[in-house]
Amino acid sequence: MSVPSRTEAQQRADDIRVFQRELERLEREGVLVPTEAQRRAVADHHHGLLAQYAEAFDIDRDVRAKQLSLGMRIASFLGALALAASVFFLFYQFWGWFPTTAQVAILLLAALGTFGVTVWIHGRAGTGYLTQLAAMVAFACFVLNVVMLGQIFNITPSDKALIPWAALALLLAYTCDLRLLLAAGILCFIAFVSARTGTWSGMYWLYFGERPENFFPAAVALFFIPQVIRHERFAGFAAVYRVFGLLTLFLPVLVLANWGQVSYLDLDHDVVEGFYQVFGFVGSAAAIWLGARRHWPEVVNTGVTFFVIFLYTKFFDWWWEIMPKYLFFLVVGLTAVLILVVLRRLRTTGFTLQGGGTP
Amino acid sequence: MMTWSRTLVAGVALILVTNAVALVGAAYNRAGDPESVLKLTQRELSLPYSWGFEGENSGITLRLCWRVLGAEPQGALGPERSYPGVRGAPDWLDKAKLVALGFDVSTPPDTLAGRRHYDKLLPKEVLLVLDLDGPAYHRMLERAKQYSEREEALHLANPGDKEFERRAKWAKEELDREERESSRLFVIDAGLDVGALRAKYPDRTRYAIVRGQIRLQLAEKEKHPVLSGYVNDLSIDHITVPLGFRQVFEPMLHNARRGQYDTVSRYEVSVAFGKRLEPWITTASATSE
Repeated sequence: MSVPSRTEAQQRADDIRVFQRELERLEREGVLVPTEAQRRAVADHHHGLLAQYAEAFDIDRDVRAKQLSLGMRIASFLGALALAASVFFLFYQFWGWFPTTAQVAILLLAALGTFGVTVWIHGRAGTGYLTQLAAMVAFACFVLNVVMLGQIFNITPSDKALIPWAALALLLAYTCDLRLLLAAGILCFIAFVSARTGTWSGMYWLYFGERPENFFPAAVALFFIPQVIRHERFAGFAAVYRVFGLLTLFLPVLVLANWGQVSYLDLDHDVVEGFYQVFGFVGSAAAIWLGARRHWPEVVNTGVTFFVIFLYTKFFDWWWEIMPKYLFFLVVGLTAVLILVVLRRLRTTGFTLQGGGTP
Repeated sequence: MMTWSRTLVAGVALILVTNAVALVGAAYNRAGDPESVLKLTQRELSLPYSWGFEGENSGITLRLCWRVLGAEPQGALGPERSYPGVRGAPDWLDKAKLVALGFDVSTPPDTLAGRRHYDKLLPKEVLLVLDLDGPAYHRMLERAKQYSEREEALHLANPGDKEFERRAKWAKEELDREERESSRLFVIDAGLDVGALRAKYPDRTRYAIVRGQIRLQLAEKEKHPVLSGYVNDLSIDHITVPLGFRQVFEPMLHNARRGQYDTVSRYEVSVAFGKRLEPWITTASATSE
């Protein structure tokens, strides 16, 4: 039997655990009593499947393992960041003592070596915490490689460096099924597309962050990537794209809704701010509607979060100065209750907010 | 998902190609005769500070200290001090020059639309001309001299007045700094074409062409908005010291890291600017004076 990803293997293992519990209940209640032969056949089949998944993907076989795995995931993430920082500072500490040829060779070999080790670990240990750790270090070594080449040879800074960084991060993400590396690749993609958008207006690329509208093309592209490229074999990837798409859209809108002077729009600041405030409300409401309709819980949650932020920002603007604080917070609290009521009605009137998130 | 062998090939190819592009670019920059070669000293290239993470950096990078010459000072005040690396509005960066550099300055700055328009303009990358020990530096030196003479005359005319004594002392120190310590490297022009700038400034041992950014700013002058062009920064303002020249700077860095900043470090460094206008150090030596 072929299993496309770790996430799907984990899902199957969880299903088996639920099935076993329910079967025990049915037996106790006398609803279903399988024969000994049937019971053994099912148990052997499940045992074989779980052993196969555990060997291939390092999955959590029981509840205890699942509880521990959250801690392992956090440790793996922090460890990956710490190791990446360690590699950077190790090089920083000694690079000045090497001739240029040795510096280049060390940087190149570090990038190649850590990448090779990542692929090797992935081949031996499957998609596990160690693979994520190794992949993050490999990515950090490659970033360090390019940055330090720029420093050693005094090369003019260029946004083009973001392309190979994004490419390597995405290669590791798709090969090893790692969402952390997918996020790193997406961040490089956002920075590159936004910098390019900025340079079309004539600005120096490093200033792309000063015009939040530069992020909009990247936001649209990210949101629609899972629509164009199917991600069934990469569980959770489509959701990561959509969440980053929405963050890349709504964070700049939030900035523009409060500081209209940083917009490209050649209009009065108040008009620009008003436009983006309306855009923020309509956009986040549309995200909630779309997410609920397409069974994308992450889109609903991001939409709700931004709707609330836009709403509270306006409340602050309107009432913080003029209202007694108890009344201000009462209004904020009552609004939260109202939002809960609306979402509850949505849930009971046919929208399913849970589900597999088909891209 | 990709098989591990395909991933390995794709990843290795990506890393090798990226390195090759960077190295070929660097080699191309340094191939043939440099575009310009400037002989700089500790006045134009400063040693790195060693606070924060820099204390753990074993590499040495020198900071290129560029300056701009602002408009002639008005009134009795001294020359506007031009600090190295700090953005400044030079007098040559006028409206005509800004238009030539591609800025849209057609909107009057004293209108609401004008203010909005200029507030929104962000820095552009252009070519800047660096002049070493040229007329810009000598004009700055002359201003410092005149200021010092003026303050000294006031001090002599008001014997016993502590305020005039303090001002005269400060002006003399300023002149001393300008003569012996301040950078002689000034940004004196900007353009979009290397050939045209080189034709205008043919001396390759005095003028270097580099990449940098210009930005517009609206300033208030006598309650009227005035449009100024600013030199925002150089695209490369740090130059890495290769291992071969490390021994020149190592003792000075050692002093700096021990907090002995009062010991004046003296050195001379030849900096070449290549085909891509990227700098590198060709010679470096410690000097006694």
